[in-house]
Amino acid sequence: MLARIIAGTGGSIGAFLFLVWLGRAGVYSLSYAESIVPALERGFSGTLWLVAAVIPIGFTMGLVMASARTSNSRIARAVGGTYVEFFRSMPPFTLIVFSSILATKIIRSIFFIDNPVAFAVAAGTLALAFHSGSYQTEIMRAGILSVPAGQIEAAYAMGLSRLRTLFDVVLPQAFRVALPALGNEFSSVIKDTSLLSAISAIELSFIGGVLVNGALSIDFNLIFIIWTEIALLYFVLTYVVVRIVRFVENRSKVPGLQAAQL
Amino acid sequence: MIRAENIHKSFGDLVVLRGIDLEVTKGEVSCIIGPSGSGKSTFLRCLNLLVIPDSGDVYLEGVRVTSPEIRPEWVRQQIGMVFQSFNLFTHLTALRNVTLGLTKVLKMDAEQADKKAKWELERVGLGDKLAAYPAQLSGGQQQRVAIARALAMDPKVMLFDEPTSALDPEFIHEVLDVMAKLADEGMTMVVVTHEMGFAKKVADEVTFLDQGRIVERGPPSDIFDHPIQERTKAFVSRILG
Repeated sequence: MLARIIAGTGGSIGAFLFLVWLGRAGVYSLSYAESIVPALERGFSGTLWLVAAVIPIGFTMGLVMASARTSNSRIARAVGGTYVEFFRSMPPFTLIVFSSILATKIIRSIFFIDNPVAFAVAAGTLALAFHSGSYQTEIMRAGILSVPAGQIEAAYAMGLSRLRTLFDVVLPQAFRVALPALGNEFSSVIKDTSLLSAISAIELSFIGGVLVNGALSIDFNLIFIIWTEIALLYFVLTYVVVRIVRFVENRSKVPGLQAAQL
Repeated sequence: MIRAENIHKSFGDLVVLRGIDLEVTKGEVSCIIGPSGSGKSTFLRCLNLLVIPDSGDVYLEGVRVTSPEIRPEWVRQQIGMVFQSFNLFTHLTALRNVTLGLTKVLKMDAEQADKKAKWELERVGLGDKLAAYPAQLSGGQQQRVAIARALAMDPKVMLFDEPTSALDPEFIHEVLDVMAKLADEGMTMVVVTHEMGFAKKVADEVTFLDQGRIVERGPPSDIFDHPIQERTKAFVSRILG
């Protein structure tokens, strides 16, 4: 509670001081701030679409690959391990650019489309989702490992198959353990969608760049307005997602299983 | 009812079982005692194929269940097992712990499963704890839920792996009472235990296991009061104090 008050007050004071400073610098221009709203709306909806693709795909990859990594099959473990090491060991930026170039090259040679932007963006989005998925794999794996082996034994002992045990016993508990870290990863990947601006995905940061180009010739200070609004939109989006995760976390708390409070 | 023949099992270089036989006829209670590391738990797990023996066979009602054509799941759903550390599913209520196997293994419909689970929980004296989660129950209550969970599947044989070893002394009797009642009702049981009072009262046969071999076997009065082998004597005098 105290922590929340401190964070809230600190944040408010910081924002207030920033606005005062902007006012002093003479960059307030309400009319300009309003004029870029339609463009920002377009960017925001683009970012929303990307997030709506990246989080579910990454989450699914995490679930599947974490199950594979903890499987008793050697091949499944190898596949999961390779996936994680590959996508975790490269910067998301590199992955995005490389995969979009690769997609462009392939689509060009097969379908003779000159500039397949949509495919390039789709490939880049997928690359980012897989990158996030590699982190989520490890998060879910930690959750799976937290389930006591005795419960799995008990599930087998009553005749449940491996798959049923995974879905009915292991994953529900692993998920509860993984939720806080998953929320962290979701909030991180939301912001990473801005990297897709490098391959011309129409999203917030890309729109930001376009707006800046237009604003530079008018007044350098307008850039502050653009990026302040964009930062605010990222903040709101991230905050909402984190609160949703928190809500699910609280809802799925098991009665009687209380964490230690220091 | 259940029969094991010449069971061998090693984990890597560690030889755990060196040829164990056991036969339990319908309605009989067979107790297995022995020092830790003697292979009791591993042997019990061979009976329901939680551990696949390296060699030797297990027969359930005359069917050789160690045959490769037989699915271990099919065997396990006919054999109930109760563990030392309860192993309840912590994210499920007592009721859901019991219904899980009914709906997912026996494919019962939800309503029927609920009814059956309630009845089983009432049978172990927990009719008022249906909605409680394992973490809200005492050790004795948790173990009784675990027994109800196993019984709900209508098993042909019940296996107990030191069911009271993890319990506070005050809760031991409530679990043993439930087990004694089960034995009275004619359940076929294989029990790994250190509760000599229980074994004396309920067991038809006691097997003393040491270092993966059967050292001595006989009626409880013989094993506890007049053991023949030196090792049995030493062990029995130690646990009887």
